[in-house]
Amino acid sequence: MSDNKHLVCKTNEVSPGNQKIVQVGRMSIGIFNIDDGYHAMLNVCPHQGAALCEGPVCGTSAQTDKAEFIYCKDEALVRCAWHGWEFDIKSGEFLVDPNIKAKTFPVSVDGDDIYVHM
Amino acid sequence: MIIDVDCHNYWSSAEVLLPYMDKHHRDYFVRGEQPGPRGAFPHGHRPWLHPEGFKRADINPMKEEDNYTIMKAKHLDHYKIDYAVLTGDEAIEASTLANPHYASALVRAYNDYQVEEWLPRDERFVGSIVIAPQDPHMAAAEIRRLGHHPRMVQVLASHGATRPYGDPFYHPIYEACAEVGLPFAIHLGGQGGINSNPIGAGPTTYFWETHAILPQSAMTHMASMIAQGVFEKWPSLYFVIIECGVAWVPSVLWRLDANYKALRKETPWLKRLPSEYFKDHIRFTTQPLERPDNLEHLWSVLEAMDGENTLMFASDYPHWDYDDINNLHIPPAWREKILGGNAMQVYQRLQALEASKKAA
Ligand code: FES
Repeated sequence: MSDNKHLVCKTNEVSPGNQKIVQVGRMSIGIFNIDDGYHAMLNVCPHQGAALCEGPVCGTSAQTDKAEFIYCKDEALVRCAWHGWEFDIKSGEFLVDPNIKAKTFPVSVDGDDIYVHM
Repeated sequence: MIIDVDCHNYWSSAEVLLPYMDKHHRDYFVRGEQPGPRGAFPHGHRPWLHPEGFKRADINPMKEEDNYTIMKAKHLDHYKIDYAVLTGDEAIEASTLANPHYASALVRAYNDYQVEEWLPRDERFVGSIVIAPQDPHMAAAEIRRLGHHPRMVQVLASHGATRPYGDPFYHPIYEACAEVGLPFAIHLGGQGGINSNPIGAGPTTYFWETHAILPQSAMTHMASMIAQGVFEKWPSLYFVIIECGVAWVPSVLWRLDANYKALRKETPWLKRLPSEYFKDHIRFTTQPLERPDNLEHLWSVLEAMDGENTLMFASDYPHWDYDDINNLHIPPAWREKILGGNAMQVYQRLQALEASKKAA
């Protein structure tokens, strides 16, 4: 992790299964609180630049070979606020084409402080 | 100059229309059967539903007032839009109702609500006279009632229809449009109810699938308006096709021209090639603009439809497939015309508004 470390908010400001949008300098960043901890993603969608992190944190249907609907990745995705492209919160990968990635940043927690490393 | 020709003014509940309805139809609305929860707009619903709702998830009006304030902040001010043509929310779905009296009462109420509650809010707003085309005479009366309002720039119906729009059945509508000097526009929507054939081979299943092939009805309307001689009868009329895709247009025009050359005897009232009527009378809006991997593919089709002169910018705010002005994939040299110049030409009321702004 680089030393460029920014205190962004307190842990209790991001409720489980939700996100909070914070500002770091001129950058807007989404801080997510999902089952395995806190994550940070640039609030800019690789599709058309919308406020990606303002979309719902949710799951989706898994790829299957028949018409069955298996809910998966519960609370592991954010659907972009505009056109609904689904991004993995941890990796930033776009589900339909993993070559397209939303920018993510490492996060650390110290006590009840959340830091983003850039 | 940026003119957004498809900007949806939302309401939180269709009950905003109640003050604008006569007592007879108010009773229908208040106590009648509704297609959804209290306050839902009466319409014959389409068979497929959007699984996530229609709007962008970052547009969340809580109060009625928010419908405007959020639009102002996130759209009009943000992109420095000079004019936004309001296209309403569900009002065009009145075209799906079998009862033309109720449908006409609903669109009348919507139009009055638009005049009273939207147009005065922001001088960038201009309006659309929404009609219920299932009774063309009532629709024509509505066009004449509001057609001279200085900030009404077009007549608007859904693209789902009971028959192709060139059909002589609808001609009273164009007579009225020509009389008041407004273009006739159709916007994607109005599937379901009496508009039972929105899709050629029957209803599709999934929303994304359906949305991609809805241009089918626009093809039908474009061919019909040309073949039935609407533009010979009303030589000043513009026909605007909103949100129906554009990359298909050249292919249909090529076919129309080729077939006409062989069978012009069927429609002796036509004096020119179908594609020539198209260039002078039909305009398309950009959103949602097709996005092939190789943009050159898109640009060559746009060129084949003379896109520089036949396309007008639309955002479709605040819907799920909204296009960002700064990400519009059109040839840079065409931007000025597509973003505003072409709309100024089609919406002649805007020319008058601009002139009075300059005079003031
Ligand atoms: S801008 Fe995010 S999905 Fe289009």
